Amino acid sequence: MERKWYDKGEKTAREERGAGEGAMIDEERLKILTDGAKYDVSCSSSGSGRKNTRDGLGNASMAGICHSFTQDGRCISLLKMLMSNDCVFDCVYCPNRRSADVPRASVSPEEMCELVTGFYRRNYIEGLFLSSAVLKSPDYTMELLLETIRKLRTEYRFNGYIHLKGIPHADRALTERAAAYADRMSYNVELPSERSLRLLAPQKTKESVFAPMRQLAEEKREFALEYKRRTGKEEGRGRGKFLPAGQTTQMIVGASPETDGQILRLTQFMYRKYDLKRVYYSSYVPVVRDPLLPDVQAGLLREHRLYQADWLLRFYGFSCEEIVAEDGNLSPEYDPKCAWALRNPQFFPVEVNRAGVEELLRVPGIGAKGAYKIVAARRYAALTFEDLAKMRIVLKRAKHFITCGGKFCGAKTLERARGELILAERADGARQLSLFDGAEPLTLAASPEEKQFLLKSSPEAARAALTGQF
Amino acid sequence: MRTVYFTDGTAEGFFSAVFDAYGDKGAFLTSSDAFQAALDDSFVRVPPSPEKAARVVKKLEALDRGCLWEIDCILRTPEADREQAAFLYIRLLTEHKGPVRGMLSRPEVRRARELAERVGQERHRLTGFLRFRETADGVFYAPCTPDNDVVELLMPHFAARFKTFPFVIHDLKRKLAGLCDGRNWTVVPAPEAELVLSENEDEFEALWKKYYRTVNIPSRRNIRQMKGYMPVRYWKFLPEKQDDSP
Repeated sequence: MERKWYDKGEKTAREERGAGEGAMIDEERLKILTDGAKYDVSCSSSGSGRKNTRDGLGNASMAGICHSFTQDGRCISLLKMLMSNDCVFDCVYCPNRRSADVPRASVSPEEMCELVTGFYRRNYIEGLFLSSAVLKSPDYTMELLLETIRKLRTEYRFNGYIHLKGIPHADRALTERAAAYADRMSYNVELPSERSLRLLAPQKTKESVFAPMRQLAEEKREFALEYKRRTGKEEGRGRGKFLPAGQTTQMIVGASPETDGQILRLTQFMYRKYDLKRVYYSSYVPVVRDPLLPDVQAGLLREHRLYQADWLLRFYGFSCEEIVAEDGNLSPEYDPKCAWALRNPQFFPVEVNRAGVEELLRVPGIGAKGAYKIVAARRYAALTFEDLAKMRIVLKRAKHFITCGGKFCGAKTLERARGELILAERADGARQLSLFDGAEPLTLAASPEEKQFLLKSSPEAARAALTGQF
Repeated sequence: MRTVYFTDGTAEGFFSAVFDAYGDKGAFLTSSDAFQAALDDSFVRVPPSPEKAARVVKKLEALDRGCLWEIDCILRTPEADREQAAFLYIRLLTEHKGPVRGMLSRPEVRRARELAERVGQERHRLTGFLRFRETADGVFYAPCTPDNDVVELLMPHFAARFKTFPFVIHDLKRKLAGLCDGRNWTVVPAPEAELVLSENEDEFEALWKKYYRTVNIPSRRNIRQMKGYMPVRYWKFLPEKQDDSP
């Protein structure tokens, strides 16, 4: 028989395992287990630089890759599924709580592995987001999750992205072993205060979430230190052996009475204390009816504002105290940066041709990318408003806060500026809603030398903006 | 008066033309027959020359390592001014004797970056939106019709991921196919392909469609955002978008 170009006369991995022999999940269980997982917003596949092995399947991409988008505009990057939705906990807000009357289902580790590798080869997904209801006990569940990702990594030689959602109250040793196979782990805070937690999630405590978060953060730091001792170099971003893509968490917004300020303070605390890569906010969706819970969906605007504020914390050098107004909430009328600028007119206008990166990053309407473009371009020639427009820097908001070579073309008074900014917000507010959830929209197109230059020119803010870390 | 330098459309042809046209202030480079000629234009047809091209590439590499990637991207766009855009960028670069990509107040730089970024973006999108189907003899086959000539840029990405089975990325528009046997890859002309799918294929496709429908949250419907991130022109080969109303 004639040999084809790809035929080396060797057996493929599929043939070795026996094609089609692997256990496959059915559509019914896939639906139940996806339904149970889909309210977890986190979907990003970024932050890990995991490499493929010689005869393995897959690798991870630092920037993350979106493979599809659902009708709600969120990206599908990872296969987001539960191992089981059969829960012993009874959290009021959760559709899988013990007392709920819903169909229950589970998958075996083999079925999960077959599904993930089958989807990955077809380029449907970037990896797996694995989570589970608490089946029997926290330790039992964690062991099941551990067994699944161990199999996936070692037997199926899968090197794509794995995000594992940890089970609170599980044994420390299990958590640590699982972290060795995952790229990212998350423990969801869900409710932003101990009081709400006690009321709505009686089996969870603040400590049950923070303890593993702390443990993983400490272990990751130790690994990084060890690497430095051994090689004399800093560990490359996303290259670490231990949870290269770090940890994330999620909070439900609008199911309990906390203010934006309380939510953001907790966020800032976790970024600083546990080196979290990202905090997700999930606008409360009433999938469950209960007298303790509100009946209406929390507004998407609030979630949007929280994401904007979160971006300011991570990439723009702001602190939570600066962002939140006196009443403890974010302004619905303007984005948080605009609101801050209007409260602090003494810092403006800034001269585009001279201001430092930190100052440019604080100008409403100028993003990280815009600030870099300005800093790069003004090295060669002084910039005018016309230049900025041609460089695609949106001036609708920025013009009230900057001068170009001493020229100002914003509104004459603060009152006028306020009015114009509200109009600008209304004009594209609806379009920008929930721009940030799911997808990872921020890709910095700074070239290596631009990055070098920026790092030298303003170490603090530029580093923060480039790495998203403080 | 300007002189129009015609190239054969290859990178080598382009760099040869850069070599010939560099000293000519009124030079205009193109590989397109569709461009608008002026009455007083004169024409030169530039044959590709490996020696000339190598000298230009060497010079550019010395001036700015990153520019060769950008120029490669620019030449992969279908734009009629791609050769001229790359040429003007090169001219600025050599005049300045170093990287100029930050000089955004110059129109040459803006155009060059715009074209290069467009190709980079499409490459990135297709790393997500390509869909492979398993054929009966175990080859994974992905058809596409990209705006830019990106198959060659996609091959290293997938070759690094897929090491245990052969795969093909087929550009049906340009009739090119990237082939990889799990170790080495190459791009060859390929008019069309006959597919006999593996028996697993329907099952996986059905599971994927089910997943796609289930993971959506209906109360947060936002079609505009979905289409913004995933333009309709890429839907043709996405199984999940075949029987999916909007």
